Amino acid sequence: MSSATRFLAQAVLGCGRTLRSAAPLLAVCVASCICAAGCNSGARSVAASSAAPVPTAVGPVPGAASEPLHRTDPFAGDAVAAQNGWRLFNWYNCSGCHGGHGGGSMGPSLRDKVWLYGSSDDQIFDSIAEGRPKGMPAWGAKIPEDQIWQLVTYIKTMRTPGEPDPPNEPANEQTPDPDNNERMMVGTQPAR
Amino acid sequence: MQLVRKKSGWLVSGAVIAAACCACTWAAPPRANGGNGTTDIPGALPGIHLVSPVPDGQWTLPGGDYANTRYSPLAEINTSNVQNLKVVATTATGIDHGHEGQPLVVNGTLYMVTPFPNNLIALDITKPGFPRKWVFRPHPDIRAVGVACCDIVNRGASYADGKVIYATLDNHVVAVDANSGEKVWETPVGDIRYGETTTMAPLVVKNVVFVGNSGGDLGVRGKLTALDVKTGKVLWTAWSTGSDQDVRIGPGFHAFYPKDRGKDLGIRTWTPGQWKLGGGTVWGWISYDPELNLIFYGTGNPGVWNPDMRPGDNKWSCTIWARDPETGYAKWAYQVDAHDGWDYDAVMENIPVDMPWQGRQRKLLLHPGRMGFMMVLDRETGEVLSAEKFEPVTWANDYNLKTGLPDENPDKRTHFGHYTTDICPSSTGAKEFVPSAFSPRTGYLYIPAHNTCMDYEGTEANYIAGTPYLGASVRMYPGPGGYQGELVAWDVEHAKKAWSVKEKNFPVYSGVLATGGDVVFYGTMDGWFRALDAHSGKVLWQFKTASGIIGDPITFLGPDGKQYVAIYSGIGGWMGASDFPSISSDDPYATRGANGAMRDIKAYTRPGDTMYVFSY
Repeated sequence: MSSATRFLAQAVLGCGRTLRSAAPLLAVCVASCICAAGCNSGARSVAASSAAPVPTAVGPVPGAASEPLHRTDPFAGDAVAAQNGWRLFNWYNCSGCHGGHGGGSMGPSLRDKVWLYGSSDDQIFDSIAEGRPKGMPAWGAKIPEDQIWQLVTYIKTMRTPGEPDPPNEPANEQTPDPDNNERMMVGTQPAR
Repeated sequence: MQLVRKKSGWLVSGAVIAAACCACTWAAPPRANGGNGTTDIPGALPGIHLVSPVPDGQWTLPGGDYANTRYSPLAEINTSNVQNLKVVATTATGIDHGHEGQPLVVNGTLYMVTPFPNNLIALDITKPGFPRKWVFRPHPDIRAVGVACCDIVNRGASYADGKVIYATLDNHVVAVDANSGEKVWETPVGDIRYGETTTMAPLVVKNVVFVGNSGGDLGVRGKLTALDVKTGKVLWTAWSTGSDQDVRIGPGFHAFYPKDRGKDLGIRTWTPGQWKLGGGTVWGWISYDPELNLIFYGTGNPGVWNPDMRPGDNKWSCTIWARDPETGYAKWAYQVDAHDGWDYDAVMENIPVDMPWQGRQRKLLLHPGRMGFMMVLDRETGEVLSAEKFEPVTWANDYNLKTGLPDENPDKRTHFGHYTTDICPSSTGAKEFVPSAFSPRTGYLYIPAHNTCMDYEGTEANYIAGTPYLGASVRMYPGPGGYQGELVAWDVEHAKKAWSVKEKNFPVYSGVLATGGDVVFYGTMDGWFRALDAHSGKVLWQFKTASGIIGDPITFLGPDGKQYVAIYSGIGGWMGASDFPSISSDDPYATRGANGAMRDIKAYTRPGDTMYVFSY
C-alpha cells in the first residue's frame, strides 16, 4: 500500500462518522483531512527545527498522518455538557447572532443541514475558536477549550431528542412547517 | 438632458433653486431641495398647511420633502386611471437582501443605493428602459456585515448641493457628484468594532448633513452626527446618553413634562457606567420644519434589552427630540417610554403639519409609535395632545396627557427570569420604521401597521464588544383578530381610524406614498404592490412583484411629462430575514423572535433585488 493510499484510507476512516450521514460531506471531510495532514507535517517541522533546519511544507503533503485526523468532542452525548453548552450559548451572546435556539439571525442557522465550514466536531470547534468571515468572532483566545467543546455538544443536539430546552411552541399554536423539506430526519442527522 | 428642460419647466426652476440653496445662509428663507417651492397644495382641506415644499416632479429627499410627508401633488395618475399602470422599467441590483428605503430622482437621473456593499446606481430616465449611467462603489468593510443586527439594509440617500449623500454600513458618510459619479468626500462617523453600523438615510438641511447610527442591539451608544455638506467635516455630535454637554442640552432646553427635566439625566438615570452601552441609536427618519427651524428625530431602545439589568429611566433612549439644526442644541425632548422593556424604539418618522386641532390651529408633530399609540404632539413645546391606539396594545392602557406618562399594565412588564406572555405589540412594533404618508387632501395619515404580539423572558447578557447585547428570549406570533398587517388611514383631526385594509398573512413592512391623484401606494411582504383610493381604501390596482416589498414607493415626472411610480421588491430587514435560506423556520426565537410571526414567509415569496417602475 502506497503512503498516499494509506493516507486516503485513514482519511475515510476518520470521516466514517460523517459518512453515515450525508454523501456530500465526504468531499468536505476529505478536503479537511488533507489539510489536517498538511498541518501535522508543519508541526513536525517546527518540532524538528531545534536540531537541524528542515524545509517547512506548504499545503498538503503525501505521507501518513501521525495523529488522529479529527479530534472528537470529549463530551459527545453528555446531557449535562449539552445543558451547559445551551447556557453558554446564551452567555456568550451566540443566541443573539444565531437565533434564540440556533435558528439564525445576524448569523446563519445552526439547525439546518447547511454547514459552511463543516459539520464534524473539530470543524465546529474550529469555527468557534478561529472565527469565520463576515462576522463570526474568534473565541479561542477568549473562552476555555472545554466550554467550546460544550458548545459543540449543544449544537450537535439541535433537532434531536437530546436537545436541551427545544424551541417548542404551545401545542395550540403549532402549524405545519412550510419548509418542512428542510427539516432533518433522524437518518440524516449528523452523528452525535 | 435638453429634452428634460424642454418638456418640464419645473426641472429648470428646481435646478435653479438647488443652485441657489448652495449659497443660502441660515438667515435666508428656506427653500425646497428640488421641488417647486410651494406649500400650497391644490385641494388641501381648509386649515391644513404643510411646512415644507412638496416634491413636485422630482424626489430629492428620503421622505420626498423635509417633513417626511411622503405626499406628491402629482395627479396624472389618479383614482380613475390607476388601473392602467404597467411596468415600464426594472433594474436588478444583484444583491438578494432587504431593499429598504427609496430611490431619488433628480435632473433626469434616478439614483438607488443598494444594500451592502452600498453601491450607488445612477439610471438615465430620459431613455427607454432607464439604462445605467454609472455605478459608484464605496467598498465598505465586509466585517460590517457581521455586526448588522437586522440584515444589511440601507434606507436611502439625500440630494443636495449637486451631490448624492448617503451612509455605508461600515459608518462612512459619502458624498458623490450627482453628474459624474465621482466621490467628493467621505467621512467615517462610527466604528464597527463596537457593533456600530449605519443604515439610515441622511437628511440634508441647507449646509448640514444629519446622520445617526445603528446597533442598539449590540450595546452601541446612540448619536446624531452633523457634517458640512461641502467638505464632510464633522460639525458636532449629539449623543443619546451621557452628560448634558454630550447630549447637547443647554440653557435653551425646556422639556414640557417635569419627568424629562433635570441635570445630566443621560447619566443619572442609569446604573453607573451603563449609559456607555445605553443604546438610543438614531436609525429612523429625520424631519425638518423650516418655519420653526427645528429638526425632529427619535432614539431607539436602551441597551441591553433585559430591563432588570439597567434600573432607571434610561434617558435618552426611546425619546423624541427637537433640536436646532445649526448648533445641535435641544429645544425639547419627550421620552415616550421610560425604562423600556419591550424594544419599543421611538425612531418612527415625525411629521410636522399645521392643522386645526380641537377648534384651534396648531403646529402638530405626528408620530405613529412602534408601541402602538398614534402620538400627536405640539412641536413647539413637546406637549402630547393625543395618544390613541391604532393596533391591539396590552402593555399600557393609555397615556396621561398631563404627565406624559403611559398608564402601564404591570403584568406586561418584562423581567429577568420571568416569562411574560401576550405582550402586544411585539418588539417589531405596531409599526416598524417603515414610513407613513400624510395627505393634506384627506387629512389622513396612512400608517403601515403590524398586529403581532410576543412572549418575552429577560435572560442574562454579557457585554462583549461587537456581539449582540440582548438578554431576552423573545417569541412573536400574530395578534388577535386574524390579521398580521394593516394599512390604516388615520383621521388625524378626529384621532380615530377612518378605514383600513387588513393583510392576513404578514405585517405591512413597506413605506407608503400618497398623491394628489388621491391614490395611496404600498407593498406587502408577499410581494403585492397595491394602489388604494385615498378616501375609501378601495383597492384600485395591484401588481405582484417577484419578491416581498419592504421599500418605500416614490413618484416622479419623466422627461416625457408622464407620471411614474417606483418601488423596490426585495424582502429582508428584521422581519423579512425569515425568508433567507440561512434562517430555519422551526425556531420561533430566531431573528430576535420575529421568526415566530414570519415562519410561513418562505411559502409565499423568496429574496429578490429588483426595482420596478410603473407608468400608464
